[in-house]
Amino acid sequence: MSDFWWDVIDPIQSVLDGVMFGSIYALIGIGFTLIFGVMHKINLAYAAASIGGAYASLAAFQLLSAPALVVFLCAAVASGVIGYAVYICCFRFIPEHLPLATLMASVGMLILIDEVVVHATAGMPEPYPAMFDDVMIDLEPFWVRGDLLMIFVLSVIAMMILLYILYRTRLGIATRAVAQQPAAAQLCGIGQQNTNAVTFIITGALGGLAGAMVGASVGILSPLLALPLTVKGLIVTVIGGLGSIPGAIVAGLLVGGFENVFQYFRGVTERDIYVMLLLFVFLTFRPQGLFGRMSTRD
Amino acid sequence: MKRLLTIAAALGVAMSVGTAADAADRTVKIAGFGAMSGVVRSFGINTQAVMQAAAKAINEAGGVKLADGSMAPMEVTFDDDRCNAEEGISVVRRLASGDAVVGVGPTCSNVAEPLFGILQAKAGDEGDSGLQFPIFTDTAIKGGLAKISEWAFRNVPNESQMYKSLFEWLASQHPDAKSVYGGVEEDFAHSRFTWYKVMKTRSADVGYEVKGESKWLLNDTNFTTQVREMKRAGADIIAISAHPFTTCGVLKEMARQRVKYKVLVGLTSSSSLETLNGCAKQAEGIIIPTSFAPVNPEAVAAADAAAALGGSADLHSAAAWEIMMILKDVIEAAGIQATADSVQADRMAIRDGLANLKTTKGLLGEIQRTDEGEAVKPYVYVHADDGSWAVLHDPNA
Repeated sequence: MSDFWWDVIDPIQSVLDGVMFGSIYALIGIGFTLIFGVMHKINLAYAAASIGGAYASLAAFQLLSAPALVVFLCAAVASGVIGYAVYICCFRFIPEHLPLATLMASVGMLILIDEVVVHATAGMPEPYPAMFDDVMIDLEPFWVRGDLLMIFVLSVIAMMILLYILYRTRLGIATRAVAQQPAAAQLCGIGQQNTNAVTFIITGALGGLAGAMVGASVGILSPLLALPLTVKGLIVTVIGGLGSIPGAIVAGLLVGGFENVFQYFRGVTERDIYVMLLLFVFLTFRPQGLFGRMSTRD
Repeated sequence: MKRLLTIAAALGVAMSVGTAADAADRTVKIAGFGAMSGVVRSFGINTQAVMQAAAKAINEAGGVKLADGSMAPMEVTFDDDRCNAEEGISVVRRLASGDAVVGVGPTCSNVAEPLFGILQAKAGDEGDSGLQFPIFTDTAIKGGLAKISEWAFRNVPNESQMYKSLFEWLASQHPDAKSVYGGVEEDFAHSRFTWYKVMKTRSADVGYEVKGESKWLLNDTNFTTQVREMKRAGADIIAISAHPFTTCGVLKEMARQRVKYKVLVGLTSSSSLETLNGCAKQAEGIIIPTSFAPVNPEAVAAADAAAALGGSADLHSAAAWEIMMILKDVIEAAGIQATADSVQADRMAIRDGLANLKTTKGLLGEIQRTDEGEAVKPYVYVHADDGSWAVLHDPNA
C-alpha cells in the first residue's frame, strides 16, 4: 500500500482506537456526573477509588487465579465498597452548605487512596488479566483490538444496566427524585442519605469496572493511572454536561477519539493541550455541556 | 608511691574506658534519601535496603576506622524526597544542618539537577554560600550532572559509553540490521535524555539509519498510534527508552500489531524486576546494558544481603552498595573524627577524598572516576530470557 493510503487510513484507525478507549472515559465520566447529579458535589476521589478497586481485585487474580471476568467483577465490588467509604469519610458528615469542604476532603481521599496503593505495591506495576488481548480483528485495511472491543461491549452493557436501574427501578426513581427535588423527595419518604450512599456504591462499582478495563487494556496496573483518569473524567463530565449520563457517554467517546486525532496530527506533547482547549471551548461557549441543563435543582 | 601507682592505674583504666565509651558513642552517619513514596517508591525501597545491608556488612566486619584508630559503626538513615525537586532540596538542607557526614541519593534526575545547584559550586569558594555537604548519587542517571558542583559525586553508569558499545556489538552480531527506530517516554528526564542524546546519536555513530521515533508520556495507557508509526517505519532495531510501565504497555501493543524487528533494545532502568513482573512474555529477548548483574560471588552476596532486608539489587540500587564501600575506604583514608564538633571538617575531608579518587572497586570490577565526579563503570549486556535477566555478553571479558 502506498504512503498516501497509509496517511488516509492511519487517522481513521486512530479515531477508531480512541473511540473504543473512550468507553473507559465514559464510565468514569458517568460516575462523576451521577454523583454530581444527585448531590451537586464533585467527588475527586472517584477515579482513585476505581483504580483502588482494580488493585483490590488483583487479590482474586494472584491468590485464587480467578478468570479475568471474575477479577473484573471483584474490581466492581471492591470499588463499590471503597465508594461507600469515600461517601462516609468525605460527604456523609460534612454539612451540605460547605461544598468546598467536601471537595477538599475528596482531594485528600484521592491522595490517600493513591498512596495506600503505592505503599502496598511499592509503586511496582502489577500485571492485570485481560480478555482477548491477543486477538486482532482484521478488517483490511483497518483492524480492531479484541480487548478494546470487549471493553467497549462491557462498558455499553454496564451503561445499559445503569440506565435500567435509573429509569426502571424504584431505586432509580428515588435517585432521580433526590437529584431533582431533594426536599420533595424527602417529604415523599425517600431517605436522602441512603440514596446518596447507594449512588456512591453504584457509581463506585461502575468505576471499579472502568479501573479494571484500564488495567485490562494495558495489561498492567499502575498507581500512575489515578490522576490522568481523574482529569479525563472531569473533562468528560463538563463536556457531556454536569449531571447528564447520555452526555457523559457521548463525551467519553468524543474525548477518546479527539485525543487520538490530536496525537496523530500534533504529537503526544501537544495532545493534552488540545484536549484542554476543547474543554475551554465548551466552558466558554456551551458551559452546560452537550446535554446538560443550566439548572435542574430546587 | 604504691598509692600513686594505684591512682595512675585507676586513671589509666578510667581513661581507656572513657575512650572506648567515646568510640562506642561515635557513629559515622550516612544520610540516604530518595523516592519512598509515589510511583518510583520501589527505587527508594531498594536503595534503602542495599544501604542498610552494606552498613550491616561493614559493621559486622568491625565498622569504620576513625582518625584516632578507634572503630565506629556506620549508621544509615533514609529520607523520602518523593521524587520532587523542592522536597529533595528541603530534605538535603535539613540533612546538612544535622550531623550526617555525607548524603547518598537522590533517585530522580529532576531532583538531582536543581539539588546540585544549591551546593557550593567550587569547593572552598568563600564567595559562594552554597551548601557544603557531599552528595554521592546512586540512581539519578541523566548524563553529566555531577559537574554542577564539586560537592556532587555520582556512581551511576555512563549510558553514552554503554550504548555506544552495545550498538557496535549489535553491528557485529547482526550485520543484516541497518536501521533503528526509537520509542521514547517524552516527559521523563532520563528516558528523554537517553533516547535523544545517547541511543539516537550512538546508533547513528555506528552507521545505523535512524528512521525516527514514537513518543508517549509516562502515564499513557493507549499506545496504538505510536506502535502503528513504529510498524510503518519497519526498522530492524527497535530501541525503547522508557520505564517499565510504559515499556510493557508498548511491548504488548507491539505484540498485538505484530511489529517485526530483528533486535529489541531497552532502557537501562528497565533491566529490573518490574519489567519482568509486568510483561515477561512480551519482553523476551530485549537487550539492555547494565552495570549490575549477579555474575560473581561478591555481587551475589550483595544481592542476597539486599534481598534479606526486603530490597532488590539492580543497576541503580547496587550502586548504593558500591558507594557505601567506597565511603568506608575514603573515610578511613581521610581520617575523620565523627564527633559533633568535627562534622563540617569531616564533610570536607570526605569531599576531598572522593574528589581525589581515580579508581574504586565495584561489584563488576574496577570503576574509573572522572575529574567531574562521575563514574565509568564496567557493564554487561543482559537479555530477558525465559522470565529472568540473563547475561548475554560481557564486553570486558
